Amino acid sequence: MLQNSHLVLCVDDELVGLKVRKILLERAGYQVLTAIDGASGLSLFEAEPIEAVVLDYSMPGMHGGEVASRMRGIKPNVPILLLSAYIGLPIEVTSLVDLYMTKGEGAPVLLQKLESLLQQPVTAPQPIR
Amino acid sequence: MNLTQFNRILRQVFLLPIIALLITAWALYLQVRGANETVRQIQEADATIAQVAQVAKLIIDQESGLRGYEATGDDRFLTDYRQAEGSIQSEFNNLALMVQFDDTQRHNIEDLSNGYQNWHDAFALPIIATVRAGGKANDVTLNLYGKTLMDQVRQDLAAITHHTEARRSDRIQQWHRQVRNMVEALIAIALGMGVLIGLFTRSRLNAVSSAYRVSLEVLGRRAEEIFQSEQRLRTTLASIGDGVITCAADGRIEMMNPVASDLTGWPQAEAVNRPLDEIFRIVNEKTGEPVDTPVAKVKRLRSVVGVAHDTSLIRKDGTRILIADSGAPIPDQTGEIAGIVLVFRDITLERRTQDTLLANEKLAVAGRLAATIAHEIHNPLDAVSNLLYLMRTGVSEEESKQFIDMAESELARVTQISRAMLGLYRESRAPVPVDLKGILEDILLLMEHRFLELQVTVQTDLPSPVLVDAFPAELRQVFTNLIANAAEAAAPGGKISVGTSALAATPKMSSGAVVVIADNGPGIPEEVRSQLFQPFFTTKGERGTGLGLWVSRGIISKHGGSIEITSNTDHLTHGTTVAVFLTEKPTIAAGHSQRAH
Repeated sequence: MLQNSHLVLCVDDELVGLKVRKILLERAGYQVLTAIDGASGLSLFEAEPIEAVVLDYSMPGMHGGEVASRMRGIKPNVPILLLSAYIGLPIEVTSLVDLYMTKGEGAPVLLQKLESLLQQPVTAPQPIR
Repeated sequence: MNLTQFNRILRQVFLLPIIALLITAWALYLQVRGANETVRQIQEADATIAQVAQVAKLIIDQESGLRGYEATGDDRFLTDYRQAEGSIQSEFNNLALMVQFDDTQRHNIEDLSNGYQNWHDAFALPIIATVRAGGKANDVTLNLYGKTLMDQVRQDLAAITHHTEARRSDRIQQWHRQVRNMVEALIAIALGMGVLIGLFTRSRLNAVSSAYRVSLEVLGRRAEEIFQSEQRLRTTLASIGDGVITCAADGRIEMMNPVASDLTGWPQAEAVNRPLDEIFRIVNEKTGEPVDTPVAKVKRLRSVVGVAHDTSLIRKDGTRILIADSGAPIPDQTGEIAGIVLVFRDITLERRTQDTLLANEKLAVAGRLAATIAHEIHNPLDAVSNLLYLMRTGVSEEESKQFIDMAESELARVTQISRAMLGLYRESRAPVPVDLKGILEDILLLMEHRFLELQVTVQTDLPSPVLVDAFPAELRQVFTNLIANAAEAAAPGGKISVGTSALAATPKMSSGAVVVIADNGPGIPEEVRSQLFQPFFTTKGERGTGLGLWVSRGIISKHGGSIEITSNTDHLTHGTTVAVFLTEKPTIAAGHSQRAH
């Protein structure tokens, strides 16, 4: 369980979905911070030692693509998993993030993808400073 | 040459011979008068000769009487002598009067008169006196003297006669000469006049003939021009892609071009001179009822007329084609209707294309909504599937109850959205009572997330159900379109309002309803406003099909309603308001797809 206690930031405007996702990830051993829009997500991302981001795409004000691009500007090496209810997001959005998946693919897929993202930095050629 | 000039020439040609004949007659008159004078002079000479003869007779009578008396002494022989003596002086006077203008004759007559007087006084009187006295008068000398005197008288008489005869023959010659001259003059005048009249008439007729030739040339040129102009028009007509029929004012066909011939199925030669109604039979596409021909309509309205939509032309073989047409009057110089020209084209293909476009637009609207719907469904599904996963991996009873509640509420959301979506695409065959409030609420629900995305706040004014008869799916399409337009115009951070209310019947309109959709976007510039309802006009670039408003207006027109757009680009009060008016009980032909007009 210890190796799983990464700090994950979840951003989504769907309150029920966000709440369920937080419970799911906490059960899987992650520490979870939540934000209901892009702006508050970004301030948490900047302030906290976030290790991974689970980001919704379609949100009022600032969509996921824009949030991801700003996060890259702040901490380029934090992995971002983009969740979307839409199928077929524009390439300029998907190229910004490490992984993206469609909502509804199921919890195991989400957990597995998140885990794989968090393992990457260990094997990455450039170590985290 | 104009008519006045021509008339002048006619007058000249008529008057000239008359003038020539008058001149000729005058010349003849002068000649005849001269000849008459000569004849009178001849007669005068004859009278003079006769008078001389009379005088001579009297003198001879006296001489004979005297000689008888001289021989016998009987007084009875002197009767003639004395008679002649009584009248001879007056006869001398007469003779003198006749020749008073001729000096020679006057002189001769004086001589005669003197000679006679000598004979009378110197011979006759003494002889008579001697005989009366009883003496003898047979003295030779005396008698010779008397003879000499009488010879002198005879000589004078002969001279007078001779002179007069000479004059008479002169006069006769003169008369002959005059007659000859007259004939010659007559011939000369006739010739001259003939030539003159001939030349003059010829020159005048030449003028007329050249004018006639010019007229002929002009006419020829006109005819050629008219022919060319007609040819040009004919070719133009033949090359036009639309059917064209021209009719006389009584509705008989005068001409039709090949396209018209193709469309009606009537060969040109057969159609000409037949009444238009026979060749151009049009009916309402939907009801099959005959439609007023444009001829009747043009005659009634005296202006260009279009024909109602959904007009079918029945061809000669009975098949039908959809046409669009118009008629226009051909005015004559006084402005009366001289004929009617009819232009029409086959719009069957166009109509099919239009229908396809409408279907495409419907699909495009559906496609745009599909993305929204996917989002609306995937979110609850994601939550539910995560909840199920949690429950399977072991939960407390309290947690389980909480999770089930959450899953149920999320599923309820899915159901609601799927219901709204179903309503949007359910086609009905006939108009049904539709609650505008319900429709608008469904649409707003489906678009809720889109509004969030666009950061648009929606204000609703839907106090109570408003019922109209309509095709619900079509109205949903219209309102979805209009609301999406408003939201996109207002974004980001803008405000839209959606409201509906019933409208009571007015003298002008039956009872109905109005749906008002307003935004506080930048407004629509004036130059764009007039094009809003045209197909393929879009301000959204790649994102718009340019068909939305065009289709919407078609649908609303079909429902007997109208769409009014008011817009304001003022920087303080900018915004756009779209009002859709619908009647409560419209007459809509059932079973036909909607059609833009």
